[in-house]
Amino acid sequence: MTINRHSTRGRTACPVAATLSRRGLLRATLGGLAGAGACGWMPAFAERFADDPQRTRHCVLLWMAGGPSQIDTFDLKPGHANGGEFKEIETTVPGLRFSEHLPRLAQLADHMAILRGMSTAEGDHGRGTYLMHTGRPPEGPIRYPTIGAAVSKELSDANAPLPGFVTVAAGQTFNRAAFQSGFLGPRHAPLAVAARNDVRSLQQIEADQDFARLEIEDLGPPAEVGLGQAARRARLLQELQSDFTARHVGGASAMHHTTVQRAIQMVHSDAADAFDLTTEPDAVREMYGRGRFGQGCLLARRLIERGVPFVEVVLGDQGGWDTHTANFPSVAALSAELDAGWASLMEELNDRGLLESTTILWMGEFGRTPRINGNAGRDHFPQAWTSVLAGGGINGGQAYGQTDAGGMTVVDGALSVDDLLATLCGAVGVNPRKQNISEVGRPIRIVDGKPVSKLLSDPIAVSPVGEES
Amino acid sequence: MMRGAPSQHVSGTRTMVNFRRRIGVVAVLITLAGSQAHAADPVANPKLTARIDDLLEQQWQADGIEPTRPTSDAEFLRRVSLDLTGVTPTVSAVRDFLADTDPAKRSKLIDRLLDSRRHAVHFARIWREVMLPSSTNEQFRLGAAAPFERWLEQQFVDNRPYDETVRELLVTTGQVNAVGPALFYQAVQFKPEELAASTSRTFLGVQIQCAQCHDHPFDQWTQKDFWGFAAHFAQLRRPDDVAQFRGLVVDTGTGEVMLPDTDVVVQPRLLDGRHLDEALTAGTRREQLARWLASADNPWFARATVNRVWALLFGRGFVDPVDDFGQHNAPSHPDLLDLLARDFADHDFDMRRLLRVLTRTRAYQLSSEVTYDAARRRHAFAAMSVKSLSADQIYDCLQRVTGNRLLSSGPPSSSDVAARRAFLAKFDAPTQQVTEFQGGIPQALAMLNGQVVADASHWEKSDLLVAVTDSPFFSNAERLEILFLAALSRMPTDDERNRFEEYIAVPGGEFEASRRLADVLWALINSSEFILNH
Repeated sequence: MTINRHSTRGRTACPVAATLSRRGLLRATLGGLAGAGACGWMPAFAERFADDPQRTRHCVLLWMAGGPSQIDTFDLKPGHANGGEFKEIETTVPGLRFSEHLPRLAQLADHMAILRGMSTAEGDHGRGTYLMHTGRPPEGPIRYPTIGAAVSKELSDANAPLPGFVTVAAGQTFNRAAFQSGFLGPRHAPLAVAARNDVRSLQQIEADQDFARLEIEDLGPPAEVGLGQAARRARLLQELQSDFTARHVGGASAMHHTTVQRAIQMVHSDAADAFDLTTEPDAVREMYGRGRFGQGCLLARRLIERGVPFVEVVLGDQGGWDTHTANFPSVAALSAELDAGWASLMEELNDRGLLESTTILWMGEFGRTPRINGNAGRDHFPQAWTSVLAGGGINGGQAYGQTDAGGMTVVDGALSVDDLLATLCGAVGVNPRKQNISEVGRPIRIVDGKPVSKLLSDPIAVSPVGEES
Repeated sequence: MMRGAPSQHVSGTRTMVNFRRRIGVVAVLITLAGSQAHAADPVANPKLTARIDDLLEQQWQADGIEPTRPTSDAEFLRRVSLDLTGVTPTVSAVRDFLADTDPAKRSKLIDRLLDSRRHAVHFARIWREVMLPSSTNEQFRLGAAAPFERWLEQQFVDNRPYDETVRELLVTTGQVNAVGPALFYQAVQFKPEELAASTSRTFLGVQIQCAQCHDHPFDQWTQKDFWGFAAHFAQLRRPDDVAQFRGLVVDTGTGEVMLPDTDVVVQPRLLDGRHLDEALTAGTRREQLARWLASADNPWFARATVNRVWALLFGRGFVDPVDDFGQHNAPSHPDLLDLLARDFADHDFDMRRLLRVLTRTRAYQLSSEVTYDAARRRHAFAAMSVKSLSADQIYDCLQRVTGNRLLSSGPPSSSDVAARRAFLAKFDAPTQQVTEFQGGIPQALAMLNGQVVADASHWEKSDLLVAVTDSPFFSNAERLEILFLAALSRMPTDDERNRFEEYIAVPGGEFEASRRLADVLWALINSSEFILNH
């Protein structure tokens, strides 16, 4: 196999094989460990993780639908006209302060990197949601996969009893495509856990002394089919399958059979118990918060314990954080939910030794205006806002990036969505420049940015990232 | 009476209309079961069909590859129905075909399927996906895709020469939401570079977009080639010209493209480097392009199209992926590809003729059962590859099993449309890599436990099951047969008869019998044999 270095104007050279087709080369390297011709980054990285017994990495995306106000959560401006009603409190990291409504998170600040320099260009809910989930604006002929699908594709095990990507409470969203697997196809689509039949508000649930009920669509047989009947059916199916698959070796029939087996296994095995929150003590469920987000975080912990690589939990479905009016009471209430769920998740993961292999990303579609509007609210503001990376692979205990005194612009450490998602990839050990082939034949990188080395705790991820064709 | 959506609960009270309908269904089911004829169609095949088989056989002999056995009638009927009309045959169609003793029945079946309305609908969907791969994006849900699909349907109904269809698309004008083909432009915001990429990929099978920013790394295209091609789309009125745009596809007569980051204007240039002679340079740039592109003189057009159609029927093209022709990706059967391309061009790019020729080949009618040397035999077309069904096909097959009439008179009800859309959203998969199964656990769960399959196999909601259970005429053996014919388009084997009859015959009266029959149907629907095209 010959390698031609073909110079491209101003760009780093694309080392490719003249005789192998581009896709042939991609297929050879898709396994992840082939080093021939690829730049030095990937093989060293992959080798390290192959040796590492703790190699299962996880990711939790905490999605704040509606656009969470940065100036009332993680980037307060006390004493400024824009500052608003909330006071700051100290965290376990000297000099780093959060809002008074996030007290438990303040105790975990050494695990968290507060990214105050977020700067993006989409101020519309639908567009912003898509942009932050895929790293690209919603335009053009390509259906980009959501970051959960792209990352879980790299981290998941095809034979695992549970799917590699689960979303929780992503019910009513501003942009459905932002939560889908796009051109990666249904194989990498998320398993959706939703509160379909439970539309109670948090207050109502609390008044009922109850917990939000989260369900997976189609996990169990329909009501009219009893368990005994379901078991009989499954046996009938197995009989049919064995004959057909024996006569059609490999190919689509083998793949279908494997997938059905996995699904049946999931339904009938212990793996499905992961979704049954009633097996947790009430005290634990209460600690996370009774609402959908809190119970969703608890579910995330249980899924991570069972090896699921990517879980996305949504707070504020139907745009709860979109506080154009009455900003302060809403944010206070949401912060309480956030604090309970997220802090409990990190504490419990830490207790189980899982926090160091779980990276958490907290963000929304944009931030909110520092200037308070006429309705005691804040409006959309993508120019300068905050996201947070925490947990495994992240250098916690710092604020990265800075806004000016009034929070109106980023003065240092500006961070684009590309680089944010690339950093997330770096933290979980996924090469952001890994390419997948879209339905129009174009190879598309997971994300087009570069990881920010200051945020990563792992030195290997810091090496220069070359072009991988 | 319009059939309601499958999720409608059929009430316990039997109205006269329901009863009459069920008797009708039962009557249709009581036709004599035929024996399976195994002989291949002995009608002398047209020369081209025979030539295709000769070329393939020569290669098999040279490579020591053994073809699989011919398909049985049932296998052939199911496969060609799915390939040409997108859906499995009805129970009565299976029975009739199996009982038919006409030696030319396979050829006649092919002709019938190609003339059917369903064929046009199915191919319109396929070609919509080919031309607009992102057409299930949110932005198209607002109805812009429907005129496009209707326009495509009409092309297939009329069996319009394919080059005319492509030329019409390339020079289309008019309002975006009213004129179907205009969506091709709208989908990429009229950008010349995107139109260059999609046009060359879709109609020429060539990926030139790698040459957009720099000369292509290993294929022959230079940056000048790319932008020369894109220049043909440079004079469309763009949406950012807000004052003038108004959603119309219009050639303005001005506009140029430049190499990125420079002021160098690139003149229109065709991909084979030829200069158009005087006669061909009349008209707008798009007209010039259309004349060259959709013609027999263009070295890629016929070959790319023929390759796509071959891939539709056989699971993979001679060039794979079908939109990646080039020096780096040689065709597996170059003589065969050239033969088919020349024939296609010589016969006015007649799509139906091409489909007829290909489905009559011995190769197309080979079984997909293969237990050794599988990959090599599939790649040589000595064994048919098992193909995934599209989400549309799975849905339509489920409707058919339930007993719903497809394409009933009048437009579908809004609940039908919603039910289909919900199902498609769950199962939608990219159309490349048809020889892989694209689904994951959520799709498998939807089939195992989901509402659509539950209704299709419900002892009260499925017309099929109700007819089979209620009717006093049927023995258990016959009931079983009907379920197999409906779900898998074949008769049960003797072994299956024994096993399943034993299962159904458990005492417990009507109640238990109906549940057990529903179990059998559920298992049949969830089997790989149902959800795949083999």
